[in-house]
Amino acid sequence: MENVPHNGTELEASIRVRVIGLGGGGSNVLAGIDRDRYPHVEYLAVNTDSQALAHSPLTHKVLLGQNITRGLGAGGDFEIGRQVVEADRAELEALVAEVDLLILVTGLGGGTGTAAALLLAELATQTEATVLAFTTQPFTFEGARRREISDAALADLREKVHGLIPVPNDLLLQETEEDDTALSAFAVADKWIGKGIHSLCAMLFETGIINQDFSALRNLLQRRGGKTIFAIGAGKDEDFVKDALSQLCDCPLLHATERPSRMDRILLHLVVGSEMGLAKIQEVVTSISEQFDSSKEIIVGAVMDSRFAKSLEICLIAKVEIEPTATTSDNAGLRNGREPMETIGSLGLENANMEANPKPVVHVSKLIGKKKKEANEDQDEFLFVDLEAQRGYFEQTDQNLYNNEDLDVPTFLRRGIKIKLK
Amino acid sequence: MSSPRIVAAVEIGTSKIAVLLGRLDGSTKVDIVGHSLSTSKGVKKGEIRDLRAVSDCVHSALSSAAGKYHIDEVYLALSGRHLEGNFNVGTATVSDAASRVRQIDVNQAIADAKRRELPENRSYIHHIQNPFCLDGKVVDSPLEQQGQRLEVGYWSVHADTPLIRNYLRVIGGYGMEVNDIVISSLASGNILAEEVEKDAGVLVIDIGGGTTDWVLYRGGFVVRTGVVSVGGDHITNDLCAGLRTGQKRAEQIKVEHGRAFHDREDRNEKIWLVGDYTIGDKEFPKSAATQIIEARVTEIFEIVKAEIKKADFYKVDDIASGVILTGGTARLEGLEQVAERVLGLSVRLADFEPGLDAELRRPEYTTVIGVLDYARVDQDRVDQSNDGMGILNGLMNVLGIQRKEASY
Repeated sequence: MENVPHNGTELEASIRVRVIGLGGGGSNVLAGIDRDRYPHVEYLAVNTDSQALAHSPLTHKVLLGQNITRGLGAGGDFEIGRQVVEADRAELEALVAEVDLLILVTGLGGGTGTAAALLLAELATQTEATVLAFTTQPFTFEGARRREISDAALADLREKVHGLIPVPNDLLLQETEEDDTALSAFAVADKWIGKGIHSLCAMLFETGIINQDFSALRNLLQRRGGKTIFAIGAGKDEDFVKDALSQLCDCPLLHATERPSRMDRILLHLVVGSEMGLAKIQEVVTSISEQFDSSKEIIVGAVMDSRFAKSLEICLIAKVEIEPTATTSDNAGLRNGREPMETIGSLGLENANMEANPKPVVHVSKLIGKKKKEANEDQDEFLFVDLEAQRGYFEQTDQNLYNNEDLDVPTFLRRGIKIKLK
Repeated sequence: MSSPRIVAAVEIGTSKIAVLLGRLDGSTKVDIVGHSLSTSKGVKKGEIRDLRAVSDCVHSALSSAAGKYHIDEVYLALSGRHLEGNFNVGTATVSDAASRVRQIDVNQAIADAKRRELPENRSYIHHIQNPFCLDGKVVDSPLEQQGQRLEVGYWSVHADTPLIRNYLRVIGGYGMEVNDIVISSLASGNILAEEVEKDAGVLVIDIGGGTTDWVLYRGGFVVRTGVVSVGGDHITNDLCAGLRTGQKRAEQIKVEHGRAFHDREDRNEKIWLVGDYTIGDKEFPKSAATQIIEARVTEIFEIVKAEIKKADFYKVDDIASGVILTGGTARLEGLEQVAERVLGLSVRLADFEPGLDAELRRPEYTTVIGVLDYARVDQDRVDQSNDGMGILNGLMNVLGIQRKEASY
C-alpha cells in the first residue's frame, strides 16, 4: 500500500462510507469482502432471517421484522418483505443518516433484500448521501414472477439512487466453469461486487500520482436516475496491461447489452504497480477512452501500489443521464453551492492536478438541456427517441414477451449456455 | 384500364427501407423503373419509434427511387409484433328450394365470417379467404353446387391502429396517400412460392432485421401468417452481450464470421475482437460467436414451429414443399441447416425471379417486389369489384383520414 503522507488524509478520512448488505444475497456478498483493508468503511448486514444473520461474520447486524416473521426470514415473498421494512422504518431511517456515500448491495426478486433496498433508497433521498446500489437479478429459470418483481424494483431503484449497477445472474453464469451450478454464479457475483467496492474505496482513500476523491465520484454521479456503467479489471505479471484491459472489457458488471454508445462522464481510477510510469498510464487511458468512446469528460485518478512492479487495476465508472424528471432540481454537484465550470482536459492527464486535491469538476451535460428542448418540440409519444438511439439496443422498446420470456434478452443467457471467450 | 400508373412499393423495415417503383399498365407485366435501399432509422422490431427520423429516411428513399418519375400510388408493407390474426368460419344455410348455392348464400357466408368486431385500437388489414365447404366437403367454387350448409373460413389479420396511423403519417408527410397495406409475410410469400408449392403446402420465412415474418400455405390458400419480433438485430445484440463488444463490431463479426450453427472445429479458430490489433484487442474462439448465434437462430425457428403447432397445422405431409427462407438474415451461413433440423422440413433459400435486375437480387427487395405484385393484382381486383379497397377505406375512416375517390 502507498504510505506516502499527503495533505488529503484528513479530508478523506472524514468521508463516511457505509456499505449495507440487504437480505440473504446482499449479506453474503459482504461476508466475503476483506473488510479490514479500508477501516473507514462501515459494513452492515440487514436481514429478516436471524439464523443467517447469526452466522454472518459482520460485526454490525440489523434484524428486521421480529414481530412479523419472528426471525424466520421473508421466504422470498416480496409482500412480506414490504410489510417488514415498513414496520421497521425507523430503524432503517437510522441507517441512512449521517453518511456521505451509501452503498447498497442486494439480490432483487425476493423479499427482504428487494423491499429493504427500495425503502432505504427512498429514505436516502431525504439526505445528502450519494447512493450507489449493486443488485443481482434472478436467473431466467427462477421464473416470471421473480423477474417481474426484480424488473419493477430495478426501475424504481434507478430513479432513487445516484448510481445503479445491475448484475444479471444469467450473465454471471457465463463466468462459471462448465459443470458448475447456479450456486457458483452467486459466488461470482459476490467476488465481482466485492472487487468493485474495493476499487471504489481505493479511489476514495488512497492517494498517489493523480488524486481523485469523493467529490470526483459525487460529481460524476451528480443526480439520481440515469444509467451508470461500472467495470473493473486487473492484471499482474507479464502481460499485466493487456490482461487488465481485457478483464475490464469482459467484466460482467459492465452488462454490455445495455452499454450506451455514448457516456456523459467517465471516471477512471487506476492502481498501478511501480513499473508503470505516466506515459504508460496515458497509453492505457487512451486505449480505454477509444473503446468506451465519445465521452465529453474523462477524469483520471491513479495511485501506486508499490508492493508490485507489474500490476494494474482499473476501475471505470461512467454515467449517462436520462431525461431529468420535472422534480429533479437537486443536483448533487451543485448542492454545495459550487458553480459549474469547464472540464479539465479531454483526458484529464495534461491538466490534472498533481497535487492532492484536484479542482472539483462539475459539468452539467449539454446533452440534457438539448434533449429536453427537442422533446418539448416534438409532441407526444416520441419523447425518448433520440436518446434511445444512444442506449442499449432494445431499451425503451416494449418487452418482447413470449411464453414469459423476454425475447430481447440474448437466448444463450436465458438458456444458460456458457460461452467461452478464451 | 387507362394510362399506366407509377406505383411505389415501400417497406419501412427495422434495418432497411426498401422502395421499388413499378410501372403498371394493366397487363400482367410490371416494369421496375426505380429502386432504393437505405439504412432505416427510428424503427425497432418492425415498429416506428421515431416519427421524424423515419419520415426523413423514407422521404429521401422515395425521392431517390422516383428520380424523374411522378409517383401515383404508394403501397406499404407492414410488419411488427402488433400484427395478430384470427380465424373465423362463416356459415350460410342454402336458401334455394332446390338446394343450389346462389351468390346470395356465398355473400352471406362471407359476411358471417367477417363479422367479428375488433377491440378499440385494432384494425383489420387483410381478410384472407380459405376454401369453401359445402356440407363439410371442400369445394373449389360453390356456386350452383348442391348442398345444405355452406361454410367459408377467413384468416383475418389485424393491426394496432395508432401504429398504422404513424405509417400513414410518414407517407402523408411526403404528400402521398397509402393506397393499400400488405403484411410483409404475405408479400414475400406470394412472390417466392410457386403455385404448385402453395398447393402442396409451403412455409415461407422472412427473417429481417427486427422481425421474422412467416406465412403458411396449404392447398393453395394462406392458412396462417405470423410475426416473431426477433430478427438479425437480436443476433447482433446477443453477440454484443456475449463477446462484450459494441454494436458495430458485433454486426461486423456476424457478417464476416457468423454461422447459424456451431461446429466443434470453431473452438480452434480465432477471431480478433476489435480487429485493429491494438493494445486492448484480443482474440476469441469462433465457437463463442457460433454458439451465441445458434442459440438465437434455433429459438426463432422453434417459435415459428410452436406457433404452427398451436394452430394445428404442423403436419409434415401437408407442408410437402417445405420451407423457403428469405430476408437479410438468410445470408447467414448455415441458416438452412438449422431450419431443417428444427422444423423437420426440407429447406431452400429463396431464388430470385429469372430476369430480375442484378441490383434487385437481394433478399431485402423480396418483400417490396411482392408488394408491387400485390398492387398489380390489386388493379384487377379494383376493376372487378370494390372489395379490394374495402379494408383500407374502412381503416382510413377509423383514422379520420379523408380519402379521395380512387380514379382508375
